[in-house]
Amino acid sequence: MLVSSSTASGSRSRIKLGMWLLLAPLCLWLLLLIILPHIELLSFSLSDPDEGGLTLSFYGEFFNEPLYWRTFLRTAIMSILATALTLVIAFPVAFFIAKMIKGRSKGILFAMCLIPFWVSELVRTFGWMILLRESGVISSGLQWLGLADSGVELLYTDATIMLGLVYSAMLFMVVPLVSTLDSLDDSYIEAGYDLGGNNWNIMREIIIPHATPGIVSGCIIVFMLSLGNYLTPVLLGGKDSLWFTEQIYTQFITRFNWEQGSAFGILLLLLSSLIVWLGLKVTGQSFTKTMG
Amino acid sequence: MKKLTVLSAAIALSLSVSAQAAEELRLLTWGGYAPQEVVDLFEQETGIKVKVTKSNNEEMISKLKATRGAGFDLAQPSQDRITSAQKAHNIYKPLDLSKIDSSQFIQSMLAATKDQSTLGGDVYAVPHVWGSSGLIVNKADAADIQDYTDLCKPAYAGKVTYRLKRPTLIGFAFAMGEDPFAAYADKDKYQQIMEKVGQKLTDCKANVKAYWSGGDAMLNLMRSGETTAAMAWDAGGWKLNKDNADINFVAPKSGALGWIDTFVLPRKTKNEEAAYKWINFVMQPNIAAMITESAGNFTASKGSDAYVDAKLKAQYQASFSPADIDNIKWYPPVPAGLEKIEGKILDRVKAY
Amino acid sequence: MQTDAIDLACENICKHFSEFTAVDNVSFTIPQGSFFSILGPSGCGKTTLLRMLAGFESPTSGDILIKNKSVLDVPPNKRPINMVFQHLALFPTMNIEQNIGYGLRRQGVAKAEIAERVAAVLKRVGLPDSGKKRVDQLSGGQRQRIALARCLVLNPTLLLLDEPLGALDLKLREQMKIELKQLQKEFGTTFVYITHDQSEALVMSDQIAVMNQGKFEQVGTPHELYYQPKTAFVASFVGDTNRWSGVVKSSVNQEDHQTQYQVTTNDGLTLDCVSQSSDIPVSSNVDVFVRPEAITVSLSAMDNCLENQLECQVENILFDGAKSQIIAIDKQSGGCITAAMPQTADFMGLKAGDAVYLSFSAKQALSFSEKQGEMNASL
Repeated sequence: MLVSSSTASGSRSRIKLGMWLLLAPLCLWLLLLIILPHIELLSFSLSDPDEGGLTLSFYGEFFNEPLYWRTFLRTAIMSILATALTLVIAFPVAFFIAKMIKGRSKGILFAMCLIPFWVSELVRTFGWMILLRESGVISSGLQWLGLADSGVELLYTDATIMLGLVYSAMLFMVVPLVSTLDSLDDSYIEAGYDLGGNNWNIMREIIIPHATPGIVSGCIIVFMLSLGNYLTPVLLGGKDSLWFTEQIYTQFITRFNWEQGSAFGILLLLLSSLIVWLGLKVTGQSFTKTMG
Repeated sequence: MKKLTVLSAAIALSLSVSAQAAEELRLLTWGGYAPQEVVDLFEQETGIKVKVTKSNNEEMISKLKATRGAGFDLAQPSQDRITSAQKAHNIYKPLDLSKIDSSQFIQSMLAATKDQSTLGGDVYAVPHVWGSSGLIVNKADAADIQDYTDLCKPAYAGKVTYRLKRPTLIGFAFAMGEDPFAAYADKDKYQQIMEKVGQKLTDCKANVKAYWSGGDAMLNLMRSGETTAAMAWDAGGWKLNKDNADINFVAPKSGALGWIDTFVLPRKTKNEEAAYKWINFVMQPNIAAMITESAGNFTASKGSDAYVDAKLKAQYQASFSPADIDNIKWYPPVPAGLEKIEGKILDRVKAY
Repeated sequence: MQTDAIDLACENICKHFSEFTAVDNVSFTIPQGSFFSILGPSGCGKTTLLRMLAGFESPTSGDILIKNKSVLDVPPNKRPINMVFQHLALFPTMNIEQNIGYGLRRQGVAKAEIAERVAAVLKRVGLPDSGKKRVDQLSGGQRQRIALARCLVLNPTLLLLDEPLGALDLKLREQMKIELKQLQKEFGTTFVYITHDQSEALVMSDQIAVMNQGKFEQVGTPHELYYQPKTAFVASFVGDTNRWSGVVKSSVNQEDHQTQYQVTTNDGLTLDCVSQSSDIPVSSNVDVFVRPEAITVSLSAMDNCLENQLECQVENILFDGAKSQIIAIDKQSGGCITAAMPQTADFMGLKAGDAVYLSFSAKQALSFSEKQGEMNASL
């Protein structure tokens, strides 16, 4: 009795040790690359470089200077719009991949969604610039066809930023959507038709509710990616397109104002989390359900 | 005991051997300032490998600030970014002038740089490459652009590009009849000037096709004809001039803005000797001419003109009359705190 | 069965998938209110046939008539037909009420009426309080009833069921068979039930169609299929049976339209048997089928009037209560025969190795010529 119980507890502690060993890389990664830098950011954002001690003035600056919170608002709204647009475009694509085709062509179509990601974001963005600039491919094409008299500038507008954001976020929406739609048995859709449903309300009442976890997780990823994007808005954006990450970069690199940059970084984290939380509340989803 | 000494000797030996084999100079510099051929010649002569990191003023200072002066053996910030950055962040190390062959420098320039970069009796920098920023104009389309403010003429709506960086603010301030350098010491006055310039830039927005950020983007805009005038460096103008004779650098009426990029030692430099060797090596007239060739700008090396390509000299003379050279506004050291004022103005211009 | 009205008629339905023929020229009619089963092994085409009725596939040729109107051009969501899917397909994102109300909402029924009808149907299937529950809170049998209720609430002309009991465990399946039959009677809806399980079909159906390789082998009542199979396939697929292959030695016509044959089996037995067809020529190949329960078991040789008697040795006893069986080896041929265990005291002590005598009448030994089998199949 005694012997068996001691070996049992021994093996249990061994299991525990094994679990910790397995978790160690994850914990280290979290600690070194996520938690520590954020603690550093937080302490920077609260420290007063002139007087020493703590100060909230860098956070105050964000709320008092309309420039900053307007930039954030603009960034957030554009990101939400980009997310919605990505969803609208990605859903039919994902539905087509998951439900309409089978076998080899499915793999090929999926790979085609992946291809843009084989080159770096910078190259992709320069690709757009070559296509869209006044002396670029599309503009020349339009002139050659006689549809335009002079060069057409398609670059440097908010629409161009949107295009770039949607393009680079597409895959991150398609993948979770395909996996949730794949898990929807065809018989549910057939049952919908059988009971008198038409395309529209089967989509609304059966397919979309089933795909909600995929939609929500895709939206969270795309929203965060858009909000945190730097290259696309800076290179494709117009004269009025200030992006919040650009603000953070400027504060750190050109202003040497690390305290302000840190405060902006922390605010970006908090406010984007708040927006995601609100989004989950509004759609009645819970984070664990979505990710689980 | 004996074993131990043998062992430690072996370790010491292997360390010194590896140090010898891996002797390298980590150079933080601008694009074009350390062309491959110069790096190769230097390695042939000294056996030292040069690891080049290309950067710009803000990034150089940010990098050194992040590591408190470590990670590089020699850096090349502009002359106006030395004493202020040193005061604020303590990232540089004073130079030992006895190790630099001062006879290779244009004396007036060396004296000016030493004077501008002296802090607490220590000299922190010697000059290397100098140049100016002003206007690049396509004369076929915009012959009447002579000053920064001419970029805002209604005729050039959508045909103009410049950066949203401090040289633009300073240039416009001079063109609007102000003297921002004189106001460096007076923050309120400087703030006033900047507000005025910000307003002007906001009004001028309709004329701007795009704010360029990388030099190549600006060159593309000018080369493709998408813009007819830009605010940029002289070397960029001369580069464009090679392909299209209509485009050239124009020294603005209110004065081109002169800058000098220098040599400084980061505070935690690991290979000071190699740094001095590099400085003395690249200041030789024939080597300096090679750098002029690759960077497009002239150096502070005495007598290197003789080695420089005739075409570049001709372009230089076409852009600068003797009066224009006298009119160059050299950047004085930037006092701390001005960047914040300028930054906010620039953000506003972009936002509204 | 109360009236002679025909709910569903299929006329010469064919379905080809490129090279493969899934349904081959099938015709049948189903009277109103009856429980009609299609029984066949997997891959026989019964699911394809059902999906054509539901409208998810369209026949390559032939016509489907509901209440004498062709529905070929009617999409599945407009047909007066509903279907209970193999895995039920209850919508997991809706609760029970919403599931049952789905079809009514599609018909634009008023909210109050929906609630009323949903409550009523829940009561009829015996789950009056589960409207607010989630699908995963119900047991397998309860889900079954909800799936039925979801269809029945729409009062369909025809209800299709695609092996809905397949996922249930044995005990529950037995219970659901009876419940399904009862619900069908109560609602009076015409059921078309497909299954590969002959016991499900036999217990519940009014009419059964036995399907094989895209064709109907025989359509009839469970009783007819069991006792008067028309083809070798039906005889072997419906119910347990012993089977011998052999050659006809001689034939004698009986007075009751049956012909009695003497057959020598391939393993050397001589059996007397009957056939419904009178034209099996001497020396043609036939299969003989005898059901285990048609065999009389005795411990000593009987000199009664049964035509066939075999002396055997008990090989094994498969004990299953009232359904216990004896596996015996025939001494003459060494072949294996299964017989039902008599439930009398004489056989309580029977064990492997004991000698038994198995006898059966010629009338219970049905023979089918191979040619006849083909003929029937193409009928």
